[in-house]
Amino acid sequence: MSDVQVMPQTSGHAPAAGRAAPVKLEVRNLDFFYGANKALKNINLRLETNSVTAFIGPSGCGKSTLLRVLNRMYDLYPGQKAEGEVLLDGENILNPGVDLNLLRARVGMVFQKPTPFPMTIYDNIAFGIKLYENLSKSELDGRVEHALRGSALWNEVKDKLNASGLSLSGGQQQRLCIARTVAIQPEVILFDEPCSALDPISTAKVEELIDELKAKYTIAIVTHNMQQAARVSEHTAFMYLGELVEFDETQRIFTAPSMRQTQDYITGRFG
Amino acid sequence: MAAQASLQEVKPYDRARALSAFKIGDVTFYWVTRLSAIAVLLILGGIILSLVVGAWPAIKAFGLEFLVTRRWAPNLEPTPVLGALGPIYGTLVTSFLAMLIAVPVGLGIAVFLTEFCPPVLRRPVGIAIELLAGIPSIIYGMWGFFVLAPFMTDHFQPFFINLFEGVPVLGTIFAGPPSYLSLFNASVVLAIMILPFITAISRDVFSTVPPMLKESAYGLGCTTWEVVRNVVVPFTRAGVLGGVMLALGRALGETMAVTFIIGNSFQINGSIFSPGTTISAAIASEFGEASGLHMSALILLGLLLFVLTFIVLACARLMLARLDAAAGK
Repeated sequence: MSDVQVMPQTSGHAPAAGRAAPVKLEVRNLDFFYGANKALKNINLRLETNSVTAFIGPSGCGKSTLLRVLNRMYDLYPGQKAEGEVLLDGENILNPGVDLNLLRARVGMVFQKPTPFPMTIYDNIAFGIKLYENLSKSELDGRVEHALRGSALWNEVKDKLNASGLSLSGGQQQRLCIARTVAIQPEVILFDEPCSALDPISTAKVEELIDELKAKYTIAIVTHNMQQAARVSEHTAFMYLGELVEFDETQRIFTAPSMRQTQDYITGRFG
Repeated sequence: MAAQASLQEVKPYDRARALSAFKIGDVTFYWVTRLSAIAVLLILGGIILSLVVGAWPAIKAFGLEFLVTRRWAPNLEPTPVLGALGPIYGTLVTSFLAMLIAVPVGLGIAVFLTEFCPPVLRRPVGIAIELLAGIPSIIYGMWGFFVLAPFMTDHFQPFFINLFEGVPVLGTIFAGPPSYLSLFNASVVLAIMILPFITAISRDVFSTVPPMLKESAYGLGCTTWEVVRNVVVPFTRAGVLGGVMLALGRALGETMAVTFIIGNSFQINGSIFSPGTTISAAIASEFGEASGLHMSALILLGLLLFVLTFIVLACARLMLARLDAAAGK
């Protein structure tokens, strides 16, 4: 957490020139392939500790792919491979020797659609905790409550912890999934369009939650909703056709982007 | 402009008449489906009724004694003594052993195919499994009799007989001497026969698990085993249980292959290496020369098999309801 890395500014895509914030995750010269198809081309960017970074861009631009590199989710599928470096606290997670289970415990993920496990609300949270820690029942109860409070779900579910996770509404399910991710105390949380299946009220709750979570976690969020990116993030990366077109402070991206393509996209001229 | 013009030229049509033409089709379709559904009930009822009628003389003669009598002496004078305990015992033991072997192996293959298997191997192995299901049971019977039974009897049975000699309970279950015609050999053949049902069905339901759900479990840092055990299997348990029950149904009722290698003996001596018989094997091997009370007793055996299968299905439903309750549904 503490290692402040002052990297030489790479040409063009350097965020917030002159600022030296602690970097949690750094992507260097990343290429990604689906078989022979090159989906990411020479991506360079840095995620600062305890901040929210948004990835925007039209469908198929590679933003979800990039997110899936950060916890090596792509490794589940044969034929997908990443080249380059992704440094988590300075350690390259693309190395073959990296323990994927531990990596994914450090880099949690929340998906497009709520994906509660087919078990009770309580077990949905306890399941992840039990993978890593051997706790007594009362300690576990405390941790479950803590995680549910942390995702602002406790008051809605405290009387039905033994109901199925699938019995909750979509927005509640998504907050359950966030609670489940937070419960195992990751360092980075990746959100892959977390609100695309939610109504506006649930979306507002999830955004509020993301805002609170950044006090403790480093967050990356893929979104199609530009207002959302503007609302929740400190930095924004605009991607197009597998390339990182522009990466800068969110405010600057949305008010004075330096690239023409970014301007066209955020003003709705294409995408 | 062109589209607008053609819209205006469309002539009004008789809506009611057009709808009534649909209605005839609807009514016909309704009755065809309804009659098909009723036909199933009629056929089921008819089978039960004819079994009861056919078994009535035996029910009258033996009553509930039939269920607990070990002796099977159809030619005894003046009245034959017939009891179903032997076949019931054999049916339960062979089905249980077959499930014991086939369920873990079948699920293991399904998990391998959906989670681990390199794509190149997936199709060939899948097709091989389906072919296994298509082999006629008489072929399993012959293969079991000429190949599997000798192999098991010469190599497998002596090992277990020696291993458990003198151990209480296990010593009885694995008591010698080895025998070609035995409950155990029949169970192994049965296990191979029902394996494809378990594998094919669980593979199909495993692949219905949304990738995102699996990814979220992997995303917590689960190993493949943890994902399969905690997410894939619970998510698909109704389907998996369905496959297992279908397999059990086949194991309980399988006739030809079992008749070949089970020995058709009504004795019960506790060892799985001794000959025995099952309900369906008993019916198949004696139906030809049976008459009178003997015939009626065989039909009663058939009725028992029917009831047994029904109980198994009911238990499966009950188990599923319990699992759902435990998962908070």
